[in-house]
Amino acid sequence: MVDKNLGDKGDKRGITRRRFTLGVIIASIVGAFGSLLSLLKILAPAKEGGGYVSTIKPGDQLIYAQGANMGADIKVSALNAGESVLVYPAGKTSNPANIVQLIKLDEGAYKAPTDIKLTDQGLIAYSAICTHLGCTVSWVEKKKSPDTSYTECFCHNSIFDPTRGAKVLAGPAPIPLAQIGIKVKDNGTLVFTSDFKGPIGPQV
Amino acid sequence: MIFKWFDERLELRKFKDKFLSKTFPTHPTFLLGEIALFSFITLVITGIFLGFLYEPSVKMVSLFGAMVPAAYASVVKTDLLPMGMIIRRIHHWSAMIMIASILVHLMRVYFTASYRKPRELNWLVGLGLWCISMGAAFTGYLLPYSKFSTTATSIAYYIAKSVPWIGDWISRLVFAGDFPSAGTVPRFFFMHVMLIPMLLVGLIGLHMLILVKQKHTEPNSNKKKKEAEGGRRLIGIPIWPEQTIISLSFYLFLLFIIVLVATYIPLNPIENYGPPSPGTPVMRPDWYFLVVYGFLKLIPGDLSFSILGGNITPETIGGVLFPAFTILVFALIPFLDKGKGKGLQNYTENPLHRPFMTSFGIGGGVFLCMLVVAGYMDVLHLTARTMSIYIILASTAAWSISYTLLRLYNKKRMGEDNDEA
Repeated sequence: MVDKNLGDKGDKRGITRRRFTLGVIIASIVGAFGSLLSLLKILAPAKEGGGYVSTIKPGDQLIYAQGANMGADIKVSALNAGESVLVYPAGKTSNPANIVQLIKLDEGAYKAPTDIKLTDQGLIAYSAICTHLGCTVSWVEKKKSPDTSYTECFCHNSIFDPTRGAKVLAGPAPIPLAQIGIKVKDNGTLVFTSDFKGPIGPQV
Repeated sequence: MIFKWFDERLELRKFKDKFLSKTFPTHPTFLLGEIALFSFITLVITGIFLGFLYEPSVKMVSLFGAMVPAAYASVVKTDLLPMGMIIRRIHHWSAMIMIASILVHLMRVYFTASYRKPRELNWLVGLGLWCISMGAAFTGYLLPYSKFSTTATSIAYYIAKSVPWIGDWISRLVFAGDFPSAGTVPRFFFMHVMLIPMLLVGLIGLHMLILVKQKHTEPNSNKKKKEAEGGRRLIGIPIWPEQTIISLSFYLFLLFIIVLVATYIPLNPIENYGPPSPGTPVMRPDWYFLVVYGFLKLIPGDLSFSILGGNITPETIGGVLFPAFTILVFALIPFLDKGKGKGLQNYTENPLHRPFMTSFGIGGGVFLCMLVVAGYMDVLHLTARTMSIYIILASTAAWSISYTLLRLYNKKRMGEDNDEA
């Protein structure tokens, strides 16, 4: 290209000068735009904690996360076997990592690898954040005997078995939902008794 | 009078001779790109209206006594204005129609081999336009900040995070921090109303410029006619006045259809979803993301491994590698299928005469459609394993059957040609 445009093809100095100028122009364009790339680092804010970090501490009271009773203490008498609610620890509802699914089943329903020490009167609690892509899981009630209700994430249909440590029965979730300890107090309300017994949130 | 005033200053007559006499083919399949262009114009006009009323913020404000994010409140208020909701629906429907028409346009170009030399570049520009349009749609998802918005965006955030090596940084760059973060809505708003539309306008301009320079491919049926005339002139109608009148009436008709559909078919009812809340109801993305959605559902969760320090998770495969690979295959097509000879190929090909490419297109199309079906696996009560078998069976069957039939057809056709000779 450059050679063709040259009037005097024999003039070697001309070619050099032209090439040199062209080189300088290209170098300055690449340099100018290349230096802008450093802005990309600024545009990505620094990591704040990162991912789901729960702030639940043993002793935190369980409250309703949604519905008509939102914010009220949960009473053990409010749940029948085969039912489930979403709960938060009292006073810590702004952290999405704290959402927990509380389930009540028959006391004899739980099998390994469920940690039965962390359950109380058939009540069991798991992290409600799907380990696939972070949607909140739901409870699918099947009024049958024996109870075949299960936990399902409606985003990509991962299914978890609450009686066997929230083992993944189907769908793309990579690991079970993490169990967390709960206990019924004398006044019938519930408190957490442990941290999550495994990783919570999307495993990416 | 007015024309003369402008002509004396801007040499309009010269412009008319040079550009407005550009020839358009009359075949109806050549209108598909125009549907996309017209939808884009509708999107810009309705978007300007919505932009006046929208508030890009997640600060909690009071709306009818309840505390909701300001963005959500502003969209609810827009819906309550006279004509507000219908404008929002027209905007949404136009977006779906724009993406659909680009896809069908792409298919038309693929099946008729119009991407061949010298039009490889415009194929790539068109493909880019399609990707960026989906980017526009995706950033638009979040803006009403309903339960649906945050769920969809959160899923995309984790998919971005699953990119090996740079996922952490990429996700914080696009979502302005770890989603949900207060910075995400303003950043998406900027991308949705400024950055992406500007890119679209630029690329649409480039697409048209290349088109005017290279001219349309001509329908194959013109070939014999032209050879009989012995001329090099293109057969078709000029932009002004014929094509303009056709396009304009076509645009008005399209607008009529969109308004009709928007009036009677509700879309993205944010009042029904409500503001972000802890629970996640059953929700599916708009149709163009269903392929990825279905693929994500199919991949087994224990398919993780790492290479060179980068983690490949099922989300990486379904949400990053699979879409990237599909786009790559699209991008490579003009460089793999060059046709006969090295010359410029200015005629469309009859799809029936290219068994390999046509059957590949049909098989691939069935594969992608089946992934959409996989998105409805839960409704159909199918397991991932059964669904995978169906997908493989259906796409292989579609590919092999269409290939065999086309081969037979072409053998017969060649035979007849030989008989004639």
